[in-house]
Amino acid sequence: MYTVLANSLINVDPGLIIWIAVTLVLFLLILSKFAWKPLLSALQEREARIRESLESAERAMKKAEEISRKNQDALKEAEIKAQQIRKDALEEAELLRTDRMEKTKLEADKIIEQAKNEIQQEKKKAMADLRKEVSDMALQAASIILDAELDQKRNKKLVDSFIDNLPEN
Amino acid sequence: MSRLARFLFLLVLFTTLSTDSVRAAESDGDDNTIDILDKLSNHYYLDFKPFAKIELPRILWTDSGILFFSSTTSALNSNAGLIDLHYLENEVRYKENSLIEPVSYKLGHADGRPVKMDLSISSHLVWMWVAGFLTIFLFARLNKRYRAGIGRTSEPKGSFQNIFESLVIFIRDDIALANIGKDKYMKFTPYLLSVFFLILFMNLFGLAPWGVTPTADVSVTVVLALCTFFITQFNGTKDYWKHVLAMPGVPKFMLVIITPVEILGLFTKPFALCVRLFANMAAGKMLIYSIIGLIFLFADMFGTYVGLGSSVIWISFNLFIYALKLFAAFLQAYIFTMFSALFIGMAVEDHSHHGEAAHVIHESH
Repeated sequence: MYTVLANSLINVDPGLIIWIAVTLVLFLLILSKFAWKPLLSALQEREARIRESLESAERAMKKAEEISRKNQDALKEAEIKAQQIRKDALEEAELLRTDRMEKTKLEADKIIEQAKNEIQQEKKKAMADLRKEVSDMALQAASIILDAELDQKRNKKLVDSFIDNLPEN
Repeated sequence: MSRLARFLFLLVLFTTLSTDSVRAAESDGDDNTIDILDKLSNHYYLDFKPFAKIELPRILWTDSGILFFSSTTSALNSNAGLIDLHYLENEVRYKENSLIEPVSYKLGHADGRPVKMDLSISSHLVWMWVAGFLTIFLFARLNKRYRAGIGRTSEPKGSFQNIFESLVIFIRDDIALANIGKDKYMKFTPYLLSVFFLILFMNLFGLAPWGVTPTADVSVTVVLALCTFFITQFNGTKDYWKHVLAMPGVPKFMLVIITPVEILGLFTKPFALCVRLFANMAAGKMLIYSIIGLIFLFADMFGTYVGLGSSVIWISFNLFIYALKLFAAFLQAYIFTMFSALFIGMAVEDHSHHGEAAHVIHESH
């Protein structure tokens, strides 16, 4: 007890304060130089590395995304182009088809016309032939029937006028 | 079952061990008391009861200059004219031609005047050195790993590295960066780290057998608080001093009151730091000794067997306090560091705007 109780709790010992102050400053200097500086720099380096690699990964991802977007765009463009080409080809084919059809039709029409004309001509020719035959036959028959009573020339005139008065067909 | 058995075994072991050591303490004194204050105070010897008591070197500034002695006993037995003040106060005469044993370890001149200054190595100082060297040793080992690339280029490996690295990162990011700001925090992080680990180890030493808590000594915490105080004031910006000496935006006549309060506030901050740490550490230790003392109080009042029987309660209660102290050791180290960072942050802050928030923070401390 005795002196020890006098050594109370809040007794400030100047000798101890001096010692603690000196050694604390020394420890602070030693620790900051040999403990914290290397440690903190190592941590900083690691963090910088992680940050960098994260950033570069992000950059790479962005790049990849851009590339994929470009690819998609190109694909879309190509598809559109292909469709256009197909459409063009179809149109051309259609055009070609209609053209050909028209031509064919025209040709057929021409052939039909020609045939018609030929038929008409043949018909005319046949008609003329028939007319001649008929007139001849009529003349013959009339001459046979009327004999000499009638003048051959007057009869012919009579028959011709008759025939002319016949309808064309 | 085996768990319970182990618990009981530890309890008995702890009970017998602490009983032994306290009994030893008792027999040391003249009367039958446990001096708790003596347990908390600074000594000029390291006590490894019951194995050894190592006297520490004495450095004394006396009338005849600064004297060095390898121990208190050698100082007393030298012809430097030094005397243990206990002998003078109790008027005990030395026995002739025999070794003079130190009692109170307080040395003075033969006529009873105290020495000019006692610069002796004391137990608190030694344990503070142990904390410092332990910190240096641990982080030198840790840095070896970083130099080898573990943690620098790869992830940290092993519990040792992970525990200390997470503590370091916690102090750097959640204490320094959060309170000081990203422009200046790296300048103060080494100080905060040093203070945190030194205080943490000093706090924890008191929980070890024969250990002493230097932070339960106000002389130690006052130096720590002064360190923060000087760092704060020397790094104070113009803005900070303007806020202290003439708070902007306050009517002139109010400054008569506010400026003295602000100047007072400069000193109350480190004072609070000092007292908080010291009081917490001292109180925890005192509580543990007091509860152990209850065993002997009960034994005195109701007999030995009641004392022994009730010791189970006191020891288990003490285990709880011990766990609480373990927590407090970390908490107080954190609080000291955090407040140091806060005060430094307030001093180095460049607030170009005089916002309300800044004033509120400023005045609340």
